[in-house]
Amino acid sequence: MSTLIDGLSLGAIYALIALGYTMVYGIAKMLNFAHGDIIMVGAYAVFTTLMMGETVGAKILAIVVSVVVCTALGVLVEKCAYRPLRGASPLAVLITAIGVSYLLQGMSQLIFGAKSHPVDFTIHGSFMGINYSTIVTLVVATIIMIGLTLFVNLTKTGRAMVAVSEDRAAAQLMGVNVNFIIMLTFAIGSALAACASIFYLMQIPTVSPTLGSMPGIKAFTAAVIGGIGSIPGAMIGGVLLGVIEKLALSVPAIAPYTTAIEFSLLIIILLVKPTGLLGKKRREKV
Amino acid sequence: MKNVFKKVAAAVLAVTTMATAAFALTSCADKTFEKNSFKIGATGPLTGDAASYGNSVKNGAQLAVEEYNKKGGLQLSFAILDDQAGADEAAANYDVLYDAGMQISLGGVTSGSAEAFAKKANVDKVFCMTPSGSADKVIDNMDYSFRLCFGDPDQGTLAAENIVANSAYVKIGALYDTSDPYSDGIYQAFKAKMAELNVTYVEQKFDAENKVDFSTQAEALKDCDVVFMPFYYNEAQLFMKAAVAKGYDGAFFGCDGFDGIADYISDITNKIMYITPFDVNSEEENVKAFVAAYEAKYGEKPDQFAADAYDVVMVIAAALEKAGVKDYKLSAEEVSTAVKNAVISSDFSYNGITGNGMTWTADGKCSKAPKIVEFN
Amino acid sequence: MSNYFKNIKNAFKLKHYVNYIGVGAVLLLFTVLYYVGALNRATPNLLIQIGYSIILAVSLNLVVGLLGELSLGHAGFMCVGAYLGATVANALAGTLPLTLVLIISILAGGVSAAVFGFIVGLPALRLRGDYLAIVTLAFGEIVRNICKNLPFFGGAQGLQSEFYTEYLKAGKRALPLFIPTFIAVLFMLFVVQNLIRSKHGRAITAIRDNEIAAKAMGVNVTYYKLFVFVVSAFFAGVAGVIYTGTTSPIQYSFFSYNYSIEILVMVVLGGMGSIGGSIISAILITYINFALKSMLSGDMAAVKTLVYALILIVMVIYKNAPALKNVREKFNLQNLKEKIMSKVFKVKSSESDIRDDAGEWDEIPTKIITDEVLSTDFNLTTYTPDKPDKNQK
Repeated sequence: MSTLIDGLSLGAIYALIALGYTMVYGIAKMLNFAHGDIIMVGAYAVFTTLMMGETVGAKILAIVVSVVVCTALGVLVEKCAYRPLRGASPLAVLITAIGVSYLLQGMSQLIFGAKSHPVDFTIHGSFMGINYSTIVTLVVATIIMIGLTLFVNLTKTGRAMVAVSEDRAAAQLMGVNVNFIIMLTFAIGSALAACASIFYLMQIPTVSPTLGSMPGIKAFTAAVIGGIGSIPGAMIGGVLLGVIEKLALSVPAIAPYTTAIEFSLLIIILLVKPTGLLGKKRREKV
Repeated sequence: MKNVFKKVAAAVLAVTTMATAAFALTSCADKTFEKNSFKIGATGPLTGDAASYGNSVKNGAQLAVEEYNKKGGLQLSFAILDDQAGADEAAANYDVLYDAGMQISLGGVTSGSAEAFAKKANVDKVFCMTPSGSADKVIDNMDYSFRLCFGDPDQGTLAAENIVANSAYVKIGALYDTSDPYSDGIYQAFKAKMAELNVTYVEQKFDAENKVDFSTQAEALKDCDVVFMPFYYNEAQLFMKAAVAKGYDGAFFGCDGFDGIADYISDITNKIMYITPFDVNSEEENVKAFVAAYEAKYGEKPDQFAADAYDVVMVIAAALEKAGVKDYKLSAEEVSTAVKNAVISSDFSYNGITGNGMTWTADGKCSKAPKIVEFN
Repeated sequence: MSNYFKNIKNAFKLKHYVNYIGVGAVLLLFTVLYYVGALNRATPNLLIQIGYSIILAVSLNLVVGLLGELSLGHAGFMCVGAYLGATVANALAGTLPLTLVLIISILAGGVSAAVFGFIVGLPALRLRGDYLAIVTLAFGEIVRNICKNLPFFGGAQGLQSEFYTEYLKAGKRALPLFIPTFIAVLFMLFVVQNLIRSKHGRAITAIRDNEIAAKAMGVNVTYYKLFVFVVSAFFAGVAGVIYTGTTSPIQYSFFSYNYSIEILVMVVLGGMGSIGGSIISAILITYINFALKSMLSGDMAAVKTLVYALILIVMVIYKNAPALKNVREKFNLQNLKEKIMSKVFKVKSSESDIRDDAGEWDEIPTKIITDEVLSTDFNLTTYTPDKPDKNQK
């Protein structure tokens, strides 16, 4: 039972990260490899703000700073690294994204050092055996999920996003500013990354330059399991992956193979049902 | 046809230039050591995840060399190359150092590196005394390989004996890192000793990909009275926090990897103890002097790696004095053999900051009394 | 008859042999230096590193440059080759002469890596682009995770390499490892260059440029995709075995995702599909790593990460950005080379008029329409055109 709860809290973080992945992938049609590292930058933003003091005010300020920094970073990265490649092969964009991921890691190592630093952001206490942090993470992730779905389906900008996702050229002909929409997608995706960084710190009180890479790849796995491009899918995939990871870890005999199990799951899902649990099916055209 | 010749000529010219450049670059290491001195080489992780260990060894050894050289007797010089904790890089570094004139060495900092380095050094009969390569393979079957730290198995056995001897500890837990040779090495000895003592305990594992979130392991171990944790302080502090959050109120028992943990766990009130050869808060005169000198020079407190490296350099110096070697131009084999024979001779013992009356046997092991540091 | 020889003479183009000449010259030069005794100890190590880096970069280039799929798990293939090759070598060391042990273990490591290449090639039939890249990344991590945990491979303590120990013991009597390494490089060049210039190479580039069109033309896509993955993995495995000759214990941590990226940097820097480019950049990057080793300590090592990142970003944007097309044409390396050649050596640029080297490409072709990365209903059988209806007049 407690393993399930632990899995749920880890899964909630994965779900939040996966939401960002899915947003960007669904609309910009690119795998933002640097998403995990934007989370890392968000965590360092929190860390830096908290160095001034650890009062409640400082913590709220840290959240704001983290969201602002990540959003600005996301827009900047999109503008400098991804926009010049609009219209180029997805492979080229993917290699650039790997480059950006490396760049962010290298820069934070230069500034803060490779050593990890403790960050105190935990909400102490629990309700019926479930940590407050877990509850808050799950609630916020659900709110964000619902909010995003409503935003995409009900607002004019949201519908423009769907249009860009369906057919970029046609959307442009209909008067949608594709560049702006994609920039906005990155802004939202990065703000989600900032949220993810805060909830990550609530459960794992430490920052290091490589903080984002593993959760990033695992959250991508979660997004694929749920069906990439699907907002509720990311949520389900995240929770599922978190629970699977914790279940595997709780059996000492197979615990060392957890990573292999998770990645094998990714490969199997991609092979058997590449669109994931809730993804849409697409046909290939020449 | 002429064109073809010109092209071939151009290609060959380019290759030769490149080759010469390569040659020049690999041989420019000559500046590594001071000319009139005994040349001590080492390899360690100066970059990468384990960088803090390598840099501590570098600082500790350099401090020792400076202090010793000030006395005005024999002169030493020290160089360390980066291997990023990789055995392949360590083996390559050996050759660079050998080319540069290394006569004697500190070996490697991490176990894998120390092993690869020592294998090459033994073929050339170059003395290695590793400050921190604690796996047994580092010294096994190698005449010229020694270590100053405890061996991994010794720590595991010692921990098992200590934990079992304390009657307050009824339910015992153990957690280790399956991907780390240090952690694995200690744990296997612990496991063997516990089996021998016929004591059961709860076993939990983690690995390099899953070493930030310890909630599962904390859940499984939260009812124990003591948890044995043979791994480094960074993961240890994360596990402690996770365990305390789960309501754990028992003790934490660690190994020398806990060194440096105090900065991270100000909010933990559980009893913490660990095996270490070096206590930075020790009241002993020589330790105090070392800590003060280290802080003055580098602006931070020394850890156990720095202390071990400091001692190794001093042991080498003492052995050189005892062997009466004075000629800086002697070959590596001559210097190393003299030092080796001095170190294993029955009347050689050394009082250092990581232990008093350290002696060595021909199999490379160091005998010294371990300390168990406790706080809270 | 004379016509025949004339044809052969005409078919002989020096540029096809430049790579062999370059690598061969390095091998010859250092072999002579070694036996004369003019070589220090560190240089052969650097040569071995350069050798296996070349093998890795060129073999990855087969997948990334020739087939046009991104592989992020090349170090995983190397890992398979290293562990299995070393296991074979451990079993044989001491009973057979060292050179023979090396040859057998290289073959064993290469073949076992090739088997894994086949396995990873299977998803490549269904997946492309980003998804395949992720699968290769996942594969690399799975392999590392398993190699690390199997007690058979020494567990966390790493696998002992008997070859390394025996090789050290033999000292000067043994054949210096850099000679077989460079022979392996030459062998790989022979295989890869002939593959690229054969009809198979053209079929593979056709798949890269437009898979569906290639299939329509009767190219056996399944066969060629698997073929490229198998060949590429084989050589990565060979590189892995050579690596085990330089160290003991073999540590799983070496074959990390970061190392895969380092190989990718070599390929991107050298130019996609360009074999010569991969060789030069492999030499350059191995060299830089060696040179930086004693310069960057502590957190300054991140500078290296930054440089790699910038190489990836700048090179890819420069070569692929639609907006930079004019700039690219202006500063084309090919034109520059011709200019230099014609000025310095007075070589006429006639042979460069038609670029027969189909393997080289600067711009990554947009073979996949951006929003159709997934091919869920992909038919694995080759395309057979309908027979014309005889009854119809």
